[in-house]
Amino acid sequence: MAARPIDPAVENQATTTEEHVVIFRLADEFYALDIQAVQEIVRMQAITAIPGSDPWVEGITNLRGRVVPVIDLRRRCGIFASEHTPETRIVVVSSASGMVGLIVDAVSEVMRIPGEQVEQPSSIVSGIDNAYLRGIAKLEDRLVSLVDLSGVLPSDETMYEMTEAQAA
Amino acid sequence: MAKGQPLTFDLDDEDLKLFNEEAEEQLELLDTALVQLEGEPDPDLVQRIFRAAHTLKGSSATIGHRKMASLTHAMETVLDAVRQDRLRPSSAVVDALLAGLDALRILAHEVVTRVDAGVDAEPLEHALHGLLQEAPPGGATVDAPPAAAGAALPANVVEALLAEVDEGRAVFRVHVGIDANCQLPGIRCFQLLQEIEALATIGHLVPEREVIEAGGGEFSMAAVVATMAHDEQLKAALESVADVASLTIESVTVDATLAIEVPAAPQAAPAVAPAGAKALDAPAPGGRPQLTVVEPGESGATNGSAPRKTTSASVRIDVERLDGLMNLVGELVIDRTRLQQIKDHLSTVLKDANLAELTENFEETTAHLARITDELQEEIMRSRMLPVRSVLTRLPRLVRDVAAKCGKKVELLTAGEETELDRSVIEEISDPLVHILRNAVDHGIETPEERRAAGKPETGTVTVTAWNQETYIYLSIQDDGRGIDTRRLRDKAVERGLVTREMADAASDEAVLQYIFLPGLSLAKKITDVSGRGVGMDIVRTNIERLNGQVSIRSTAGKGSEFIIQLPLTLATTKALMVMSNDTVYAIPLVSVTEALSEVEADLHPIAGRTTLRLRGRLLPVVDLARALGDYRTSEHQGPRFVVAAKHSDRQVAFLVDRLLGEQDVVVKSLGDMLGNRKGITGATILGDGTLGLIIDTASLVAATAALQAIA
Repeated sequence: MAARPIDPAVENQATTTEEHVVIFRLADEFYALDIQAVQEIVRMQAITAIPGSDPWVEGITNLRGRVVPVIDLRRRCGIFASEHTPETRIVVVSSASGMVGLIVDAVSEVMRIPGEQVEQPSSIVSGIDNAYLRGIAKLEDRLVSLVDLSGVLPSDETMYEMTEAQAA
Repeated sequence: MAKGQPLTFDLDDEDLKLFNEEAEEQLELLDTALVQLEGEPDPDLVQRIFRAAHTLKGSSATIGHRKMASLTHAMETVLDAVRQDRLRPSSAVVDALLAGLDALRILAHEVVTRVDAGVDAEPLEHALHGLLQEAPPGGATVDAPPAAAGAALPANVVEALLAEVDEGRAVFRVHVGIDANCQLPGIRCFQLLQEIEALATIGHLVPEREVIEAGGGEFSMAAVVATMAHDEQLKAALESVADVASLTIESVTVDATLAIEVPAAPQAAPAVAPAGAKALDAPAPGGRPQLTVVEPGESGATNGSAPRKTTSASVRIDVERLDGLMNLVGELVIDRTRLQQIKDHLSTVLKDANLAELTENFEETTAHLARITDELQEEIMRSRMLPVRSVLTRLPRLVRDVAAKCGKKVELLTAGEETELDRSVIEEISDPLVHILRNAVDHGIETPEERRAAGKPETGTVTVTAWNQETYIYLSIQDDGRGIDTRRLRDKAVERGLVTREMADAASDEAVLQYIFLPGLSLAKKITDVSGRGVGMDIVRTNIERLNGQVSIRSTAGKGSEFIIQLPLTLATTKALMVMSNDTVYAIPLVSVTEALSEVEADLHPIAGRTTLRLRGRLLPVVDLARALGDYRTSEHQGPRFVVAAKHSDRQVAFLVDRLLGEQDVVVKSLGDMLGNRKGITGATILGDGTLGLIIDTASLVAATAALQAIA
């Protein structure tokens, strides 16, 4: 993957904290998820499709007795779908609406990224929509996009807040 | 602080859970009990109410919720006056307390939201204090309990105690009597003093500290103390001292009337605290909320009956833990089914004589496992059961409020509070019940004048009864009001365009009563905030049917109406017909299935280009199940398919499926918040091979399909 030009104007906005992340691959780009959000990583397993659901919803799967919805991250991010390979994994994350599985092409590693290597995503073109990213990390050999989970998952937060307000 | 401002409280998640549980319990108790307070209060009831308020004050002060603590304090002060017969619980008093209770609910919820809800408690507190000023001064002299007599505490002591209360400490009055045969009462008093000081701050002490410290204690001592500890701890500490013959620890309200008295003579009373002092004042003993022993009978008696004396011990278990157990048992049930399948398979494969014993052994083991699993499942289902009382206790307050708003006199009777049902159903049953009850009071019961004119007693009666029958729970809401005017109902339904005049006139009265469940129909002459705008009964019915339940109505003009709700005992499992369509397994709840037959045997006709099934003299629209759900892939199924007829209220639809897989008990699991409630599917269930099947929501699917057919 070729390095891309970086706008110096945004360089200073980087945070100073360290990011502890799980790196995964989608098509030929690398992305990172906050390790706190990742519950577990499982091999591809049987998924039951839900008729009439959004196209990026792959279906539901049985994770040791729990019903977990699974999202096809490629479709969700507008990347061409591809066949599942032995490397394909389901990354199970916890979100505001419970556990959700994300299908990724491969999980490569767990690492710590120093905060100063993370930049705002706005200036850099990436494979997936900027709304889904919260930063881009420049590593020695590649760029890694930090995924904003709340952007990727269909948000029901607005609805949630409304009910809260009504309750009060 | 202004509305919308973030709030901070001094508690972590575990504390929050504890606080919520306790607050909910006490608020509920107040809800029921305050209504009963009006008129002639029974001292036990007053004591219970007082304790509930006191507990709320303690817990809110502990977490630093000043507004809530201050309001509960005001309520507690009023209740204390009632307790001491200084104030008669008139309806004005009850109203003020109920208003306070409503505010408390909102304040308690703030702890969850951490946002200021903008409650202005001051006018409420003002009103509460105002009640006290109206009370006859000095009324306590006649029949105040003996504890209130004696010397009042000096003002500076009261002030100091109030400061302690503000910091979240509870105040107790302690009386200790020392055995008359004790040789060294002075030493015992000194020991007692040390025990008290280890746990509490002493506000006032009789005899004085100097006397006790000099060894001059007599056969009794008394103290008013402030402490973070609860009475049980205090009691245990004091009982550890030898020669203690009597011990009283009572929680008290700090105000100017707080008094202290020393029993004049040594008493040879048994060394237990009188019942009045054994409060659930303090938070549960320092532990986790999961396994707190519930004080039997404290969760609230109902409907003016004497306080219930339940003797069976109970244990409170976290719902999540029960759900977890339920999940595990669900898994076990699935394994059992799998094992049985393997057994059947093995039996056919291994019909070799040499292996007969092995097969037999295996069969025995599977049978045993199956039995144990069933029993385990049943036990866990039972442990999730709650008496319906927890729902019924909220009703007296509701009826009182609604009746007051409509200017009616209504008495609520409840029966069958002990009827048990799964907590998942309890959560769902409350809204429909409340709605029907509101209607009964608002529309059903006539005004006192109307009732007098009709030769009925002025006070109307609404009876709520719960009972079990087979695997269902029934709730009946019956009123002795005016009944439903079927003629007006006909006119209204026609006027709203819900039915044609011809249909309405031809329909029997019984059929017309069902109109009440049509969307967009309200019989209220004017729109009130009690009974809404006709967004009522249709939603009630829809919600009940979504839970695989039913609601029916009976009514006689002039005599009254009765609604009967029928719900399954649990929502955790359901009996279903398993079918396969487009390689997906679906579970159709058995309650809605009327018939399942092969396409070959079915009496199918094309009518106006649509396939129709003729079944027992009725014509049913036939739709492909997968297609109706939105799965438009072409079926690769070879060979004859099957037809499953399903009903929802009075509509029937026949679904075309690829295969029938048989009946099964399925464990219902939610699809989760992200996928939410989608049309046609209520949840998922784990199948024998570990994959998931989808549970059909027959009600919405039949309704949608029938509507579609009607348009076409």
